[in-house]
Amino acid sequence: MKNMSKHVKLNILAATIATVFSANAMSATDPEVLAAAIAKQEAELTELKVQLKELAQQQQAQTEQHQEQRLEQQEAIATVKAESVNSKFSKFSFKSYGSLIYTSDEYYDNVQDTTPERRGRFDLERIVTEFGYQFNDDWDMEVEIEYEHGGTGSSLEYDGFDEFGEFEAEVEAGGEVMIEKAEIRYRPSAAFGVKFGNIHLPVGLSSTLHKPSQYLTVQRHKSEAAMLPAVWNENGIGIFGEVANFHYQAQVVSGLNSEYFRTYDWAASGHQKRFEHVNADDLAYVARLDYGNFKTGSAVGASYYYGNTSGNRHKTNKLSSDGTVSIFSIAGAFVEGPWTVRGQYLNGTLSDSDAITQANKTTPGLKPGNFAQLGSESEAFFVEAGVDLGHFTPIPITIFANIDYSNPLKEVETGIATKRYENTWISAGINYFPIPEIVIKAEAGVQQVAIASIPDTNFFALGVGYQFSL
Amino acid sequence: MKHFTHSVVAIALISALAACGGSGSDSTPTPEADKTFSFTATEMVTNLTDDVIVAGYTDLAARGAALFASTQTLVATPSQANLVAVQEAWKAARQPWEQGESHIFGPVDSLGIDPHLDSWPLNTTDLTSVLSTTTGFDAETIKGWNDDVQGFHTMEYLLFGDGVTTNTKMIADLTANERDYLMGLAAVFRDYTEKLDDAWLISHDASTGKAYGELLKTPGTQDNTFYSSNVGVVEELIKGMIGIVDEVGNGKIADPFGADTSSADTSKVESQYSWNSLTDFSNNIIGVRNVYQGELAGAADKQGIVDFVAAADKDMAARVGTEISNAILTIQAIEGANKMPFRQAISDVEGRKRIQTAVDALSKLQTSLESDVLPLLKTWKV
Repeated sequence: MKNMSKHVKLNILAATIATVFSANAMSATDPEVLAAAIAKQEAELTELKVQLKELAQQQQAQTEQHQEQRLEQQEAIATVKAESVNSKFSKFSFKSYGSLIYTSDEYYDNVQDTTPERRGRFDLERIVTEFGYQFNDDWDMEVEIEYEHGGTGSSLEYDGFDEFGEFEAEVEAGGEVMIEKAEIRYRPSAAFGVKFGNIHLPVGLSSTLHKPSQYLTVQRHKSEAAMLPAVWNENGIGIFGEVANFHYQAQVVSGLNSEYFRTYDWAASGHQKRFEHVNADDLAYVARLDYGNFKTGSAVGASYYYGNTSGNRHKTNKLSSDGTVSIFSIAGAFVEGPWTVRGQYLNGTLSDSDAITQANKTTPGLKPGNFAQLGSESEAFFVEAGVDLGHFTPIPITIFANIDYSNPLKEVETGIATKRYENTWISAGINYFPIPEIVIKAEAGVQQVAIASIPDTNFFALGVGYQFSL
Repeated sequence: MKHFTHSVVAIALISALAACGGSGSDSTPTPEADKTFSFTATEMVTNLTDDVIVAGYTDLAARGAALFASTQTLVATPSQANLVAVQEAWKAARQPWEQGESHIFGPVDSLGIDPHLDSWPLNTTDLTSVLSTTTGFDAETIKGWNDDVQGFHTMEYLLFGDGVTTNTKMIADLTANERDYLMGLAAVFRDYTEKLDDAWLISHDASTGKAYGELLKTPGTQDNTFYSSNVGVVEELIKGMIGIVDEVGNGKIADPFGADTSSADTSKVESQYSWNSLTDFSNNIIGVRNVYQGELAGAADKQGIVDFVAAADKDMAARVGTEISNAILTIQAIEGANKMPFRQAISDVEGRKRIQTAVDALSKLQTSLESDVLPLLKTWKV
């Protein structure tokens, strides 16, 4: 319709122009005058054409200029955008590490069984993601989320084959997802910093060296896990810093809960992570001093942990004594050229261990049963040594030997301590780094229980681990 | 042509789906017959609490005290006769305990008493080292130790033979230190059985709470946070019966029994030193019968779960009663004509056949309790 009307208008215009021209031509009768008029008109027409041409050129030039300007503007915007994006990324950091392992162990059916059976197992041991953000030069934060054993989940399913159809809640996976660290740090200088939130305790080398490339064994050190929470994290506040290659840390953190102390791993399962809230009626105090840096190379260091545990029990009327846990550790690492030697000794004491045993045995629902007895003293150590053949051959392989020892029941307050939980693991293996971010490990060894009538068992493990950071 | 094919496929699918839907649900609204039934449970619950459960625990506490007394006599005068007396006292204490496993809820569970008294298997390696390194055992010290070196089976291990070829033990083979330990264990045992009895009669948490027996008998009262109505109590009782039938059939018997002679595992047989296994198992099901009938064997007839079931379906009540008796008889029959202990029967061809009969009887009973008796709670007009 619009087109139609446009055509009509054009036609009317053309008709009008034609009429005007024809009128002029008709009015002139003298041929000379006519010729002059024609010439004049032609000249005017020519001039008009020239003017039109000039106008068109000017327009063209303007358009070109506009386009150039627009392009320039766009470029400027893009640059600004890119700059802002880059600066955001420079403040944001993302890291991840993880491991998948295969283990083949011998196990006993029950406490009387002395003929072990072998079982192979796969485990997507852990996938860890670390997000960090640098607010400014002094303030930053870091959150570490760990997915253990393939995560966890349940789902609601509709079963239409049931009589009237039925909704069923099903457990899909039995792993764990948890925040392992969520800390905010203020660090005005290298010599002094403060961190608070959910922070790692510097007790046990696994807290510092927990990425697959940072330990030689396939699994983290078993000795440490049989005594205290490995890669220990608690809520609290800590100061840290570096002065002349000395690294210091001091923390006040939430304490352990003695309701969950068990014979086989001493204070480890007292780590409060079962409930939504962490009881904080008893706090703990931690200090650590290192010379050198365990993460980057050679170092020696010592740490001390001290805290009461009874106040954090849920049933507070079962125990009136303190249940004080104190842990002392010394550690050393020599990392030089192809050589790596690391070791750690842990010693822990628990006051009122008999009273805690009694309270745990008689608290409804707790049922520690055969695992109630607690060591008043606990002990663990490991030594691992490796040599990187990459220094001598083109193959990036490290061969290693390891010994882990733990005895969570070294001493008991009364009676005798069973040696059933006194374990020694001796192993050897390789770490192969096809690229620096990936490590493939193999390990074979023997586990000894300090009871002669329980035979030694052999274990074998394979693992692949990765780590990267953006 | 293509459109036509699509239409044909669509029609076929729709009719198929419609057919499926139709066959699944019969939508004719026939009025269902009233399947509900009435039963007043107060008398039954009162009776089961007092005459079966509490009476059993009182009996257990008395026999626990007698067992301790017999060990004192043995320590004072170590003779073969006194050893045999302790063996008999041990077996006597075992009877009400095993029968009580058909109602293993309440204090025995919440106070964690079961593992203290009846942990199996034994930790014989630790036990050996305890005996070789420690002397002078008092009850409080023993209570602090792990459960696998105390309770019924530790006493059994010390009191009887190795169970492989004999269950006889000579007094000469029981050292003075072992006799001391036995006495300590019996003292711990007596304390726990007393505590359990008190929990039902006086206070369920050994401090401020009401007697658990009262809680069971008065559901729905204001301060009863355990049971809001008799439905909960009856459910607890029926589930207790199911629990022990399952444990005896699929655990205590089937686990050591294995798939065949080569996978039979004698190390898993409970009460293997005393050769008391079959007595234990049949006592477990006699406990089920006690709850079902409402009285201990030989006592005057009182209301039990059988009366609840009969109110809904008399035939079912009789059938389940027969199945319980049959389970008890087939377990007792495992020993055969030559009185073979369970530990030996699992490796014997004829014994295995008899065990299979008992397992089948238990499995049948379990099915009846789970799919016939338990669902009655839904049609019960309270």
